[in-house]
Amino acid sequence: MSKVELLAPAKDLQKAKIAIMYGADAVYVGGKFFSLRSRASNFTIDDLRELCIFKKIYDAKVYVTVNIVFHDSDYEGIREYLKLLDDIGVDGIIISSLALLRIARQVAPGLECHISTQLSSLNSLAVETLKEFGADRVVLAREASMEQIGRIAAITDLPLEVFIHGGMCSNYSGRCVLSNRMTLRDANRGGCAHSCRWKYHLFEGDKIISNPNCLLLMSSKDLRASAYVEEMIRCGVASLKIEGRMKSEYYIGQVVKTYRRMIDEIELRGHLIEERLAYYDAELSKAENRPSDDGFLSGDCDNSKHLYGVNGAGVTHDYVAYVHRYDKARSLCMIEVKNVFKRGDRIEVFGPHVDNERFMVDQMFDQNWNIVELANKPTQLLFLRIPFEVHQGDMFRKVSL
Amino acid sequence: MELLVTLRKRALLERVIPFVDGIIVGKFFTSSYHCSLKEIVEINVICKANQKKLYIALDDFISEDDINALYQYLEFIRKLEPDGIYFHDLGIIAAAKKYGLSDRLIYDGKTVACNSLDTAFLLSKGIDSVVLSRELTLEEIARILQNNPRQIDLQVFGHQRLSYSKRRFLTNYFKEINKKNYKYLDNENLFLVEEQRDYKLPIIENEEGTFIYSDYVLEMFNELPELKPYLKRAIIDTLFINDDTIIDVCKDLHRITSDNKLFLRDHLYQNHPDSYSSGFLYQRTNISKDE
Repeated sequence: MSKVELLAPAKDLQKAKIAIMYGADAVYVGGKFFSLRSRASNFTIDDLRELCIFKKIYDAKVYVTVNIVFHDSDYEGIREYLKLLDDIGVDGIIISSLALLRIARQVAPGLECHISTQLSSLNSLAVETLKEFGADRVVLAREASMEQIGRIAAITDLPLEVFIHGGMCSNYSGRCVLSNRMTLRDANRGGCAHSCRWKYHLFEGDKIISNPNCLLLMSSKDLRASAYVEEMIRCGVASLKIEGRMKSEYYIGQVVKTYRRMIDEIELRGHLIEERLAYYDAELSKAENRPSDDGFLSGDCDNSKHLYGVNGAGVTHDYVAYVHRYDKARSLCMIEVKNVFKRGDRIEVFGPHVDNERFMVDQMFDQNWNIVELANKPTQLLFLRIPFEVHQGDMFRKVSL
Repeated sequence: MELLVTLRKRALLERVIPFVDGIIVGKFFTSSYHCSLKEIVEINVICKANQKKLYIALDDFISEDDINALYQYLEFIRKLEPDGIYFHDLGIIAAAKKYGLSDRLIYDGKTVACNSLDTAFLLSKGIDSVVLSRELTLEEIARILQNNPRQIDLQVFGHQRLSYSKRRFLTNYFKEINKKNYKYLDNENLFLVEEQRDYKLPIIENEEGTFIYSDYVLEMFNELPELKPYLKRAIIDTLFINDDTIIDVCKDLHRITSDNKLFLRDHLYQNHPDSYSSGFLYQRTNISKDE
């Protein structure tokens, strides 16, 4: 089995570091310009420079999304930007503009060029075309089934990247300008208003035929391809991609760690038994997910794969603290409060080096060493006595008794 | 500049052919056309007899499962000796090479052909021309045309495609609400209206997936004379348009393009009342959340 890359998204520098610490082989991030997800915090050049230094510690890679559908005016400054990315050590760019293949070769020859899913590459002929154009990797469309992915991978020697987890466009990526019409926000230049997740009446002529209690939604459930990871590795997919540049550090940590362990186990043992897959699925469920399914990987998407009457982002308040440091001599850790918890709550700790170890909150102190009973101020730094060793970057989540 | 019309009914051919330079037809890998292979052969014969051009539309995506079917269809197309092939899936570039059709390819990315540099890139790879995306402003279109003169096609009339999904939105919805026996496949009389807005968006589902179109009909009667010297082809898209309107639009745009006259679109507005619009021509759509 070939070594597969686990590729994680990151909204900002801290989340990128968490993704790498929790086991991602590579992260993809957006710069301040030329990137979809305009509401993500996005990286300054200084952030990218720091990330490129950090990645070396873990031998990880950094890819930068330059994946808007460019209009003429958007290209201003692109040559300088790509050159800068190359200079600071970025490994590759994710693009949907074919012209960037040529521009990047000219000004930033060190950058790999990955073709974004925005171009919806769905077959081996499209991959062949893109290879001839000079692409270094193709992100396949999320509409391809597992069987089709296997056949494409068997034909091409160009590295393929496949989404395994996260949100999905209900339309072919890049082939939707509903947001442009409904809100004047350009779906393909970072302004998508997610008009596909709104509710619509259906008319035949002038007559309403939709059910008033269940209007038509196009919104799809999120993707969860845990059951296909083994097959993807076996058929030679080069990179397994997690979606979610808008997601929290908790989501990133939990999802990356779970897939990291799953991939490592598959690579070590050659396969994953059913019980272990169930375990990893349960772990994935601890992240803040919307309802999920296997999308087009199993073939068609029927009504069970849509979200009718549901629009929640699946946000929970389980993630309660982030560990900044640990004093082994005093069994005391400094944490940053993320959500409310209190003395007596049962906590599960997870992180790059700790697997779901539990304890009950007993002694908590503020920075003046006053006893704290209730931690309810987000971002507040507290000290907490803990019976086992934790590390910077570990996270606490509240669990039921 | 050539004036082309998409032909969705064989019966309309004789009525439109005097007013256009070419016809766009299709059967497979297209959501917008419904001609049979036999009709396409017949249309080709008539076009050639009338010194009109024939273009084939392959404007949907192609799955890995359909590659053999694509090859068979390309073999059929090759024998027609068409003047061009409108394609949407980049895989067609590799496939067409095997059939000696590379020099006839016209890229119709629908929503992703938005700039001069990507256009120039594709042209440098031997693509004949590029259909610009429908969400561009007139200013953007003019700039791309100036940078790539007479190598650009443009939709100048018709509903604009807003989205394309592999998902079967209507099938799934009717199943969800347990509404059986409703004729929705290929039904061109279905519309979506969002809860808070009154746009009536045509929605159509067929074998290729689900497509949503603009509520309005784009018309570029006033703009075409100025663009004409730089355009390679202007396309009249007839999806959802009634026959009489199609014929009148072909006539009117023919006058604009052949006589170089600024035609009176009032004629269209009076005789075929519909929701006409300039679409995105004067409306930029990169408004950010803060604006």
